[in-house]
Amino acid sequence: MSQITFTLLVSAVIFSVGAAGVLLRRNPLVQFMSIELMLNAVNLALISFAGSMGTAEGQIFVLMVLTVAAAEAVVGLGIIVAMFRKRNRIDVDDIRSMDG
Amino acid sequence: MEQVVLLILGVLAVASALGVVLMPNAVYSAMMLLLNLLSLAILFLLLHAQFMFAAQLVIYAGAILVLFLFVVTLLNPEGEFIFRDKKRLQRAGAISFGLFLAALLIGAFIAAFGKVQPNFPDSSGAAGSYGSVEAFGIALFTQFLLPFELTSLVLLVALIGAVVLGKRK
Repeated sequence: MSQITFTLLVSAVIFSVGAAGVLLRRNPLVQFMSIELMLNAVNLALISFAGSMGTAEGQIFVLMVLTVAAAEAVVGLGIIVAMFRKRNRIDVDDIRSMDG
Repeated sequence: MEQVVLLILGVLAVASALGVVLMPNAVYSAMMLLLNLLSLAILFLLLHAQFMFAAQLVIYAGAILVLFLFVVTLLNPEGEFIFRDKKRLQRAGAISFGLFLAALLIGAFIAAFGKVQPNFPDSSGAAGSYGSVEAFGIALFTQFLLPFELTSLVLLVALIGAVVLGKRK
């Protein structure tokens, strides 16, 4: 098994763990961390593909994913803080309306 | 030697990913996420993507994780013991979904990419190899200039969104 195949398998396992984490936990902060895990697994897969091709293009995609991850973390954490201000506790089961 | 390091980092990355999901306290989850990010960064280095190694450390471990830790310590959520509470159906569903997805992805990857060999032109680590800042910068500012410019728009929208969400009425 080459190192590309090995890192691809690692990324598959990390992605599955992250997907299961989003479903398993009810704390939105940990759910966000699980989403970051999934994004990171995709980054690892993209860099493995870039390594198997020997070109820099795959890494451009990774830079885009990093940007979107940063934007998503800022907006998502802002939503969680706003939710905490309104209800004084954070649990995704509490959210039933989009009323700010 | 490189194989051994690769194996250790892979095991570390998977174990810390499990730690993020299973730790009861959100601060411990964030620490496990840090360990995961660091092991993935070193995996990037082993795949000769030097620029991505640095970007991963600066953006993820430096910026995003600090933001997470700020919010976790600000909100101080109570611990969540997922193996002790009553919601058995959610737990069983999530775990079986994760196992199903892992089996599916591993099978697909082995079937499609089981024979793929690495192709690192000039893998001595010198400037000009595919993962260096030079090669990355040339690709980013010639062929992919438009996506790079659109990135700034995404960041601007996120900035405005954060200000609007954080404003008190």
